Amino acid sequence: MDAAEALRELTELSSQIESAVVLGADGSVLASTHEDSTRAAALASSTLELVGAAFELNTQRLEVTRVEVELEDGALFVLRDGGRTIAAITGPDPTSGLVVYDLRTCLHGIAEPEQKKKRRTVRKAKEEDE
Amino acid sequence: MRKLVRLAVLVGLAIWAWRRFAGPSGPRERAGVSYADGSSVVLEPGSVGFERLASIARAALRP
Repeated sequence: MDAAEALRELTELSSQIESAVVLGADGSVLASTHEDSTRAAALASSTLELVGAAFELNTQRLEVTRVEVELEDGALFVLRDGGRTIAAITGPDPTSGLVVYDLRTCLHGIAEPEQKKKRRTVRKAKEEDE
Repeated sequence: MRKLVRLAVLVGLAIWAWRRFAGPSGPRERAGVSYADGSSVVLEPGSVGFERLASIARAALRP
C-alpha cells in the first residue's frame, strides 16, 4: 500500500482525524490529506518543528518516537517509525489511544510492502548463491 | 440496611457535586513525548516544554 492509499484508508476509518500527512526520512511529504500543497507543507513544517522541540527536551538526545499535544482547539499527534513520520490533526478532546493506534496501523501499512520486497530480494540472492 | 442505602446515596451525591462544581472544567490541555528507549514524559500547562510544544501545535491547528 502506498502512502496516499494508507492515508485515504486512515481518514475513512477514523472519524477523529481531520487532516494528516506522511513524511519520508528526509522530511519530504510522501502523502497528505490536504489537496492544497501549501497546507500540506505547513503541516509538515510544524511536524518537523515539533519533533525537533521534543528532541531538545531530552537531555540524553534520544530519538523521538511519539509526540501528542492536546489543546482546547484540537490536538496534534506525531508518530515516527521505520524512518517515516505521520502527523495528524484532530478536533478537541480526542480519544488519544485510538488515534495513536490508527496512526501506527497506517504507518505499518505503508512499511509492509518494502519489507516484503527486501525479504524476497534476500531469498532470491540466497537461491542464486546455491 | 436502610441507613446503608441512605449513606451510599449521600456519598454518590457528594462525589457528583464535587466533580460538578469543584472539579476541572473544560478540556484539559497536555502534551506527551515518547522516546526510542521507551521512556516518556507528560508536560502540563505552565511548564516551559509544554508552552514550546503548544505554540507549535497551535500554529498547525490554525486553519
